[in-house]
Amino acid sequence: MAIVLVIIHGLVAVALLGAITHQALSSWAPASARPGSFFGRFRTVQSAAFTNAIIVLYLVTATLGAIVYLYFRVEIRPAMEQASRWEALGFFDLKEHFMAIGLALLPAYFVCWRQPRDEGSTRTRTVLTSILAFIVWWGFLVGHVMNNIRGFGA
Amino acid sequence: MYQRAFHRFAFAFGAAFALLYVLALAKNLALFTVYPSFGVVVWGTHLAHDVVDPALGFLAPAMYWYGWAATAALGALVVGVLAAAIPARWTRWIWQGWLWVVPATAMLGCVYLTLPWFSLNP
Repeated sequence: MAIVLVIIHGLVAVALLGAITHQALSSWAPASARPGSFFGRFRTVQSAAFTNAIIVLYLVTATLGAIVYLYFRVEIRPAMEQASRWEALGFFDLKEHFMAIGLALLPAYFVCWRQPRDEGSTRTRTVLTSILAFIVWWGFLVGHVMNNIRGFGA
Repeated sequence: MYQRAFHRFAFAFGAAFALLYVLALAKNLALFTVYPSFGVVVWGTHLAHDVVDPALGFLAPAMYWYGWAATAALGALVVGVLAAAIPARWTRWIWQGWLWVVPATAMLGCVYLTLPWFSLNP
């Protein structure tokens, strides 16, 4: 059961990673980018269209992660502690903390992408999206490395 | 009007949660503790050695993450509802940047509180 959940968790996380990275980069990319260039084409995609998908994907990923975490605590962490993989456990704890903070930012993130744009709100929106992108990347990389160190069923 | 109130709620909730989460983590204030081996959830923060003999603590690993998140969510909900209830003119002067400054600082706080993990020798 845990293996199935962790695979679905990983697959949904890949979709989330793609969407949030696209939105974050298009928020930062210069508006004056050459139309035919990679960033020019990147910019032409309507970033706001990703918002709802990112929120749903984040919620699904976090929910699955919260369920898998129960199995992790019983099956994986004791073995990691015995193997003295303290750094890995520290990074994993940070992933959990960051994910919780990111989860609570979702309502504000939704509002930021819906409200009319002015200089202040655009900056807030860009930074907030970047924080979420950082959290998602951190979670993905740490989760992936953790699974490599000791996956379910190992 | 409701839309503006939701904006205030969302902004206050996000910032308050981040702040309260790092406080809950620092003070170990979990609304409930989960014992996944037994499938048991108990109110408040319970250390494993309160439940079983310290030598057998590994048999009853306690999880606080859900409880910390619940504590922070409950507090942030109160802050959010208060922010939504107060008149808009009272909140107009608040800098919108707090919405990302507070969570970013809270994340650094989490890093600081996690540092002991990295000083444990193999």
